[in-house]
Amino acid sequence: MGATRLFSNKFLLLFSILSFAASSLTAQTLTKKQQDSAYLLNPGQERLRKIKKSLAKKFVNFVGNDVSLFGNLVLSNQNINDKGVTAPINYLYNTVNSNTFNSGYSGGFRIDGIYKEKHRYALSFAVNRVAAGNNYKNKYSLSPFIDDFTHFKADNNFTTINVAAHYKKLLPVNAMNKYKFYAVVGPSFDYKISRISNEQLINGAGNRAIINGDLGAEFDNKGYYVLYAHYKLGVNMTSSSVPVQLNRFEIGMSIKAKDLF
Amino acid sequence: MKNLYKLLVAAFSFTLFTGLVSCNKETATTQTDVMNSMLTNKNWYLDYSITGNSTKSYVGQSTYFVTYLKDGTTKDSDGLTGTYTVEVVGNQSQLHVQLKTSNGNPLEVIYNIISVGETKLVLSKVVTTGTATQLYFTNK
Repeated sequence: MGATRLFSNKFLLLFSILSFAASSLTAQTLTKKQQDSAYLLNPGQERLRKIKKSLAKKFVNFVGNDVSLFGNLVLSNQNINDKGVTAPINYLYNTVNSNTFNSGYSGGFRIDGIYKEKHRYALSFAVNRVAAGNNYKNKYSLSPFIDDFTHFKADNNFTTINVAAHYKKLLPVNAMNKYKFYAVVGPSFDYKISRISNEQLINGAGNRAIINGDLGAEFDNKGYYVLYAHYKLGVNMTSSSVPVQLNRFEIGMSIKAKDLF
Repeated sequence: MKNLYKLLVAAFSFTLFTGLVSCNKETATTQTDVMNSMLTNKNWYLDYSITGNSTKSYVGQSTYFVTYLKDGTTKDSDGLTGTYTVEVVGNQSQLHVQLKTSNGNPLEVIYNIISVGETKLVLSKVVTTGTATQLYFTNK
């Protein structure tokens, strides 16, 4: 008797849910305007479809593009040459010079693919939070008063956006059908998006654009994830009164987006 | 995946927007702004004065100090008050001080700024004749 009641209750509940769903579906009937637009070509969508088609035709040799998300630890140090600064400002050398690698972080996405079924590449876009140790190349003194000082104080905490194009060379190491090791090389470009301090702007020293040469190694674990270590050597893209050389080590991991979402 | 692409585009647009909004450049007052920020609201104690080969040391004596306030006024331990401005004339950074003497007459003193920092200040008094005196101050 109890079982029959339970069954009937479940049946009633199921029936209620189905009828509610059915009523919801009927409530979603299209308006006259929506019905009309469904038959008409949407010019925006049509244009987008054409662009996609033409891009697919143009980039027919770029295949197997996988989108991955990545995050990494960034260890940075910058060499600063303040010889071009004429402003009579002093910063005590020992308070501004650390000459260490400080840690920051970055995250972004990358597209890995193969060009003409032969050349592996990775294109990436990242946002970096850089915290750099400073190494000032020049020391000045005003004896007997100031022993060591610099004329310039560089920003050592800043945010950049980074675009990179890397060539990946598969290395004949280990069982290549399971684990893949790559050597990576290529250029990248950084643009500072955080506010530059007045101290860094003096005498035209405040450059935002940095061009890098990247070198690294990557380990692909059966396509599940990629572990990598990259070294980036960056310099000011345009001439500056204070040339800065930015050294960065990136250690991170990327995971395919389709595995995450 | 469609949502992911939307998310990526949104993140890209946001970072670009942030970058454009935060753009700042060097202006005519950048250098004087930095020097002013280092100079103001501190007591600068005279440690040395050097005129030619003659060096006088006042280290540890705290005999004379001068203060440059953020509102553009200045006062020293001798009771002299006035106003000041930091200017860059040609390539030379200068401190222009307008004082009033004890009998009420206005007096302008100009110093070349040799070096200014958070704790050290070196000035050279501009003179029309004779040897200029260099003044070495510490902010204690």
